Amino acid sequence: MHSAADFAWLIPLLPLCGAVVIGLGLISFNDLFNRSRKPVAITLLTSVGASAFMSYAVLAEQLSGKPPVEHLFIWASAGSFELPMGYVIDPLAAVMLALVTTIAFLVMIYSHGYMAHDPGYVRFFTYLALFSSSMLGLIVSPNLLEIYVFWELVGMCSYLLVGFWYDRDGAAHAAQKAFIVNRVGDFGLLLGILGLFWATGSFDFHGIADGLSDSVSSGTVPIWAALTLCILVFMGPMAKSAQFPLHVWLPDAMEGPTPISALIHAATMVAAGVFLVARLDPLFSQFPFIGLLIAIVGTITCFLGASIALTQMDLKKGLAYSTVSQLGYMMLAMGCGAPVAGMFHLVTHACFKAMLFLGSGSVIHAMEEVVGHEPVLAQDMRLMGGLRKKMPITAITFFIGCIAISGIPPLAGFWSKDEILGQAFNSFPILWFIGFLTAGMTAFYMFRLYFLTFEGDFRGENKEMQLSLLALAGKEKDDEHEDHAIGKIHESAWPMTFPLAVLAIPSFLIGFIGVPWNSIFANLLDPREAIEAAEKFSWGEFLPLATASVAISSAGIFLAVLTYYLKRLDLGVSISKKYPKINSFLQNKWYLDDINEKIFVKGSRKLAREVLEVDAKVVDGVVNLTGLLTLGSGEGLKYFETGRAQFYALIVFGGVIALVALFGVVGA
Amino acid sequence: MLIPEPLQADFPWLSLSIFFPIVGALIVPFIPDKGEGKEVRWYALIIALITFLITVGAYFKGFDPSQEGLQLYEKVSWLPDLGLTWSVGADGLSMPLILLTSFITSLAVLAAWPVSYKPKLFFFLILAMDGGQIAVFAVQDMLLFFLAWELELFPVYLFLAIWGGKKRQYAATKFIIYTAGSSLFILLAGLAMGFFQGGGIPDFGYTHLAQQSFGKGFQLLCYSGLLIAFGVKLPIVPLHTWLPDAHGEATAPVHMLLAGILLKMGGYALLRFNAQLLPDAHAQFAPLLIVLGVVNIIYAALTSFAQRNLKRKIAYSSISHMGFVLIGIGSFSSLGTSGAMLQMVSHGLIGASLFFLVGATYDRTHTLQLDEMGGIGQNMRIMFALWTACAFASLALPGMSGFISELMVFVGFVTDEVYTLPFRIVVASLAAIGVILTPIYLLSMLREIFFGKENAKLISKAKLVDAEPREIYIIACLLVPIIGIGLYPKIMTDTYISSIDGLVRRDLLAVERIRSDQTTIISRPNLSIGTIEAPLLD
Repeated sequence: MHSAADFAWLIPLLPLCGAVVIGLGLISFNDLFNRSRKPVAITLLTSVGASAFMSYAVLAEQLSGKPPVEHLFIWASAGSFELPMGYVIDPLAAVMLALVTTIAFLVMIYSHGYMAHDPGYVRFFTYLALFSSSMLGLIVSPNLLEIYVFWELVGMCSYLLVGFWYDRDGAAHAAQKAFIVNRVGDFGLLLGILGLFWATGSFDFHGIADGLSDSVSSGTVPIWAALTLCILVFMGPMAKSAQFPLHVWLPDAMEGPTPISALIHAATMVAAGVFLVARLDPLFSQFPFIGLLIAIVGTITCFLGASIALTQMDLKKGLAYSTVSQLGYMMLAMGCGAPVAGMFHLVTHACFKAMLFLGSGSVIHAMEEVVGHEPVLAQDMRLMGGLRKKMPITAITFFIGCIAISGIPPLAGFWSKDEILGQAFNSFPILWFIGFLTAGMTAFYMFRLYFLTFEGDFRGENKEMQLSLLALAGKEKDDEHEDHAIGKIHESAWPMTFPLAVLAIPSFLIGFIGVPWNSIFANLLDPREAIEAAEKFSWGEFLPLATASVAISSAGIFLAVLTYYLKRLDLGVSISKKYPKINSFLQNKWYLDDINEKIFVKGSRKLAREVLEVDAKVVDGVVNLTGLLTLGSGEGLKYFETGRAQFYALIVFGGVIALVALFGVVGA
Repeated sequence: MLIPEPLQADFPWLSLSIFFPIVGALIVPFIPDKGEGKEVRWYALIIALITFLITVGAYFKGFDPSQEGLQLYEKVSWLPDLGLTWSVGADGLSMPLILLTSFITSLAVLAAWPVSYKPKLFFFLILAMDGGQIAVFAVQDMLLFFLAWELELFPVYLFLAIWGGKKRQYAATKFIIYTAGSSLFILLAGLAMGFFQGGGIPDFGYTHLAQQSFGKGFQLLCYSGLLIAFGVKLPIVPLHTWLPDAHGEATAPVHMLLAGILLKMGGYALLRFNAQLLPDAHAQFAPLLIVLGVVNIIYAALTSFAQRNLKRKIAYSSISHMGFVLIGIGSFSSLGTSGAMLQMVSHGLIGASLFFLVGATYDRTHTLQLDEMGGIGQNMRIMFALWTACAFASLALPGMSGFISELMVFVGFVTDEVYTLPFRIVVASLAAIGVILTPIYLLSMLREIFFGKENAKLISKAKLVDAEPREIYIIACLLVPIIGIGLYPKIMTDTYISSIDGLVRRDLLAVERIRSDQTTIISRPNLSIGTIEAPLLD
């Protein structure tokens, strides 16, 4: 009998077929396809839905203990070089498949509501299907090179989707920035892959890990080279998973439509870096130094994201920095040699962060009725407030998300974050402490978002505030949309609230699959270690750490309640007065964007201009000069432009003819 | 170990594919046409398509990809006393490029549909060029090669001088000075090699020349001459400045021919003559090729980034992509060299599509300055989609042909043991910088043309209509092979891999020879002779 895994190649292929058919249709019969929204949505939902169904079948098989499946074929070959491609289904892949297809499916339903008024509805769905397909392909890739292929493809989809509203300058810049920053990471990844292939003759995950440990121990590859290669490869995940200092693209990527922020920039694509590190665990775990490096990068990212999120006034950007911070936690887990914990946090985070983003989308959608489509207004929390009464479902699910991410038991975030902090405590206590502090900051900024958005009085009709916000962003009031603006805040339609409600369930419950004394999740991914961990588990060790992290989260929440709900404390104003430097440091996002702009963007432009100058003046100048000298100097360019050149060429040609003729005569 | 005997053709496929379009071109003046080109363009399209079918027929009926040596070989004595013979044939190096030529030319004819100024002359030249360029790839005699190489100059010169833009005279002149001047070296090297054996009737046939054992100094001399000649064509920095000027003035169909086929003549000739006929010199010169390749990639990418003129931007991007061809040719690995070959085919398709789109955009905006564009994606959505697809192809997105060819060059170069490790690390790292630079200039370009608010000044002046079916069809024809090769590269690599294998094997023998010379003459066995030194990097 065939197992479901034998048909797993269909999982990425189905959405691809859907996307290709609709995409070709859009190019050839644009109007027709743009009008037939329902058939398009149903086709693509069916294809992704079928993929989701198969993914669950595959996951069930893996849960029942079937061995991993791998199918390969030769894709390219030259000389003795052969490059196999194919797919692999193992527990790690199965978990990710189920996760990605589920969230993609829900986001598509949500988009049906969110994009209902957008003329690009069909194009949006096509991109979504294309993205799902690439992401699923990435998950089932059996070797580094195939991962690289899909890695780039998800990057392209991200580019297309961030720049979806291409009439906005912000979106155009953000899309380009996202792609190029990711290419910086890919530069390292590509060199790393090449180097590892040189060192081990393999692209396969296990082949690389075994090959490199053999060559290092036999001395054919020096240890510094092995470390360099690992660091190069790690650059890829650093860019994709928005780790410091390559995180700068992710907050800007919020220019894309909100469903995209939920799917790509919170739940799936940004997790691909963490996923790749988990895949490469056999390689990285050989070198403690690499582990330390990953852990440090993760911790810095984690702290940086949370600290910037404290001051953000844009709802989506606040969530974006929160994502950066949570990705930092996952990397910290990877660095501590606990990939299972990192993957567990990836799964729980995907559920509640997708829900939070979709919730923010629901809010923005409602806000647009009042303040118009300008994102500077629709996403700013200074104009929100009091939305809970008007949009109860959104508010409740958002609240659940806040508790989940803050790490309050028994919601999902508690189990996964606590697992990571526990691992960090055992490996690197200093990093644990920073992560621990960050947990408090997380709780604070999340509840700050919640209170500013949903509690208090609605501030959206404050015209003065609107104008001053626009002035702050350097934009002018767009008169065209002015008359559209007066509407009422109301709860979103069912396509938008349904996914929120569905995601609330795993946000609540999914943590229970990973309880430390009997972790189903760890059992699936790494049975041996799970048994070991369950044996070692002791309440005496677990309880103090768990209590500590619950305590600091509660403290964060308490502070947020005092400041933003009860308004007993004026934390924002008093701190910014007392420590203006810290405040501006955080508001300017650690000045990283400015540094980036000054050094890399301006620097590369300047360099390019200088090279062009050299090209035009020196290289080409020499040519024109010699041209002048040889072909009648003093007569000027004009003279040499006419007549002479043809004559010159004719001489060459005539010379040949003459030679031919000469030899003909002489020979005869 | 020597080159296998050529296999005779049972049907003159190649001669037919050379002479059919040329004869077809000669009939053009007699085609009844009202002067606007409405009739003659159909005629030209039919001739070009038949030529394409002839080359496809040659490939399927007469060509066996598993053979290493020459096939479809025809030899007719022409001037026996001079040793000049009409000999054509194809091996893995020529066959893909012959197919590419007839394919791109057919599309160029379609791209030339709106030409209404002197249409008869225009289509005459395109058809004549079709035959001439197939001849460049098919002839098996160095004198014939020189003739074909020179013949192809005149159509391009006229294309530039008659249908070009404002600076057309300057561009055309520059083109002809560069190429005609450099091709003198081909003639000199060819004559020298033909007469090398001394006495008797010279023989310029490739097979004959390949069997000669030229002295080392002689090889170096010929090699450097040929390198200059082909370096102009490819082009290699700093011999490239004719290209942006020529491209800046040419019209869309001519662009397609220039980028799609003409540049490939340089790469083909480097493989055919420098790597195949002069292996000992190639072993000495290869590190230089690689360094030049890296310079091409980075230098041209930076220049492209700074360019504000759309055509020149794409022209420099072509130069940048040709850098990978140079690295591949210099790599001494079967994988790298076959990557270079694939890069030529792939860039032929991608370059042609980008330049066609530049032309199509210019027809609407009437400007090439990026500062005068902006936001045109709102009126030209399909055009935007086509541009995006082709730009992604050009920045080597996986799933398209550019990615696999660059990857093959990278992997081939990094894993081959001829060069020292530090040299390989430096070159690979520098070449990989191109991976960052390419999206920077291509995506900025897309942003400046299509994204953002509409440029009010442009909208008021120009009528921005979306892509018409003919344009979509041309791009689709180019994208199908681009994506096809990207998804399954073996369909292309299998056609030439055995020839490349043979070529690399012979070049590696030359490397061995040089190493053993060094050991015996210098007699310093401890010296790290397992490497060729990279002179420019010291």
